[in-house]
Amino acid sequence: MGKPKISSDWLAGCAGCHMSLLDIDERIIQVAELADLRATPITDLKAPDESGVDVGILEGGVNNSANEEVAHRMRSRCTLLVALGDCAVFGGVPAMRNFFTLEESLRRAYVETESTDSEGKIPDDPELAIPQRVRALSEVVPVDIFVPGCPPDANTIFYVLSELAQGRRPEITGDKLDWH
Amino acid sequence: MINVTIDEKTIQVPEGTTVLKAAKMAGAEIPTLCDHPYLTPYGGCRLCLVEVQGSRTLQPACTLPVSNNMVVSTSTEKVKSARKFILTLIFSERNHFCPFCQLSGGDCELQNAAYREGMTHWQLQPNWTPYPVDASHPYFILDNNRCILCRRCVRACGELVGNFTLGFEERGSLSMLIADLGSTPLGESSCISCGSCVQVCPTGAIIDRQSAYKGHVTQVDTTSSFCIGCSIGCGITVAARDNQLVRIEGDWEAAVNGGVLCKVGRFYPMDERRERITTPLVRKDGALKQATWEEALAHIVGQIKPLTGQKETGIAALASTRLPAEALVNFKKLFVDHLKSGMVTTLEEGFSTAPAARLAEKMGKSFEGDLNTLDSSDCILVAGIDLVQDHEVAGFFIKRAQPHGTKLILVDAKVNSLEVAADAVIKPEAGNMTVALDNLSKKAGSPEMIAAADLLAKAQHPVFVFGNGLGETELQALINLAASVNGVVIGMKGGANSLVASQLQLDAPFKLNGHKAAFVALGDDFSTQKFEDELKNVPFLVVQTAYRSPLFDSASVVLPVENWAEIEGHYLNLEGRLQETHPSLQAPQGVYSNALAIETLASALGFDVKGDWKAELAARTPAVALVA
Repeated sequence: MGKPKISSDWLAGCAGCHMSLLDIDERIIQVAELADLRATPITDLKAPDESGVDVGILEGGVNNSANEEVAHRMRSRCTLLVALGDCAVFGGVPAMRNFFTLEESLRRAYVETESTDSEGKIPDDPELAIPQRVRALSEVVPVDIFVPGCPPDANTIFYVLSELAQGRRPEITGDKLDWH
Repeated sequence: MINVTIDEKTIQVPEGTTVLKAAKMAGAEIPTLCDHPYLTPYGGCRLCLVEVQGSRTLQPACTLPVSNNMVVSTSTEKVKSARKFILTLIFSERNHFCPFCQLSGGDCELQNAAYREGMTHWQLQPNWTPYPVDASHPYFILDNNRCILCRRCVRACGELVGNFTLGFEERGSLSMLIADLGSTPLGESSCISCGSCVQVCPTGAIIDRQSAYKGHVTQVDTTSSFCIGCSIGCGITVAARDNQLVRIEGDWEAAVNGGVLCKVGRFYPMDERRERITTPLVRKDGALKQATWEEALAHIVGQIKPLTGQKETGIAALASTRLPAEALVNFKKLFVDHLKSGMVTTLEEGFSTAPAARLAEKMGKSFEGDLNTLDSSDCILVAGIDLVQDHEVAGFFIKRAQPHGTKLILVDAKVNSLEVAADAVIKPEAGNMTVALDNLSKKAGSPEMIAAADLLAKAQHPVFVFGNGLGETELQALINLAASVNGVVIGMKGGANSLVASQLQLDAPFKLNGHKAAFVALGDDFSTQKFEDELKNVPFLVVQTAYRSPLFDSASVVLPVENWAEIEGHYLNLEGRLQETHPSLQAPQGVYSNALAIETLASALGFDVKGDWKAELAARTPAVALVA
């Protein structure tokens, strides 16, 4: 058996969880020695191998049809799916918009903000993803491992990656359990 | 005593003990949310469910009394999975989003409970219905989105404060935290801003505007101290971070107040807007200019020294009763003993203590009743004080006793805020208070008077509370009345160290008589218009203060001193309880303690005020009996 393949992607998040991943600094070399880092938003390869990966990691909640597609693609290509960060685990900050209708949020964002001029308009290009109510990842696809945090601490991410790279299932308890 | 076995450990507990308390004694920790050690058990959240042998279902430990030979298990798989399920339901009932809550990260009891059960996520999604937020109150915000319906706030408002402002409307998932039966926003309600609800809320549902996001419990330094807002002397816990105040809470362990505070103790000090004074100021060319302590003291000595011994027209001195005993003793020694001034008093001029002190002298004994007797009294008579307007915490004690059947009789010539809650209201015409009190002991007069006298006669533990509305003869009548029914007498007094000022005989009315100089030891107190006007024409005025004051207009020298949070000193509360404040903040450099400022001035004048300050408190006969 070769090194476990790990792939990641991001959905409705702020990229902060991937920044926190990079905060493991030189320890990323240890991870790379133990695992085969495949497609991620911060590497050249953008889509997980069609042949499948051992671990899929997703940051962010699901807030439109594109996110939904990416979530399903990752789920279908990975053995273990990790929800990384509060947005993927709970819906997080983007989920605050669920208190309003989609129409209200879009109008606020594209028309009403103080910095929008009179030209402001809600984008309606048919090629754009269709916005939806924000959902936690587990509402869309089954999730195997939840790593909450906003973002999760770099040490927690390193622990999760090193356990997964060595074929073990990480336990998020004690100091590592922190929703922020 | 009965036997109970908890997690295979058998212990003996008194009958009536709840399973929760018994478990604590047996060393088993049961998680709770709605339970609070200072509130009546409620059994609302179900987090404390335990397995009781022979019982069909899991039982709430907080409300279940132990029965003999009961066998309880607190951490079986069944219990643990129930706990997780309950937490899942609580999270899904409202909208709990930790990343933007001020309590997240250690201070939220709900989040901590979830961590304790190892919850990495929610199995059910939140409600997503937006719930009402009431931000109409100046000090805190009610956010129903984060409410878990534990009703701690409602119980604190009723049980601890007797105010009954908070309540819930509707039932089940529609339950909403409201004020005054939902008739009005909290900010316009009957809320008295004591903040007890903020202190007991387990989640971020009641947001303290002043301390939110300023630091978690683990990030702040906490100091146990005492409030110097009035003569009650409530125990407080002060949280500070980087030498900045974060919040003030009631000290649950404090003998006087047991956790409750009023707005004067909890919120007012957080709202301090006056400009802090950190260096001495001396008037030069018509304006106050920064100076060193040496320059300022030299200037004062030059003006004051020649006035030594001029009893009637030399130097007049005023002190705030917010000053610690150490400072008041120094103040008295310097101005009365050494400078021989005949006009040395406090800003409250003995209004609330002089009649009682004179009477105690005549009777040969002091009468300082214990505030805790209010909680166990069955009939309380309040004369000449509005306990909603000042000394509020004593008012809480009375209001919270009433639902238990305690009767309240008000004797006050003025309008009194407690009138609506009183069982009998006696409004003597001006000057007739003595007659009214005499009639109460003689059971004579109007039907209302006789009804009140009956209430007193029936009482097993009557308590008599008096304020500054009573003169010496009226007080004598009250003491006689109390003696006739074997009642406790509590004198409310005024500021934090009113009683010390009284013991030091700093209680004369303030009167200027062409005095050539005046010294005001203001501390962090406020001056009043009356003193500002009177002191305007004194040729040489020294103000010892923590903050800029209107007195600066006429001051010649200003000395910077500590504020309440920086003071380490003693206060004698209205019961005669000697309490020591501990500094929660460090004073800015160059700022002296109130006691040291006076001591330094004294030695610059060539006097020594050092010595046993405690002995001075006993100088007046009869000395007040100190509560142990």
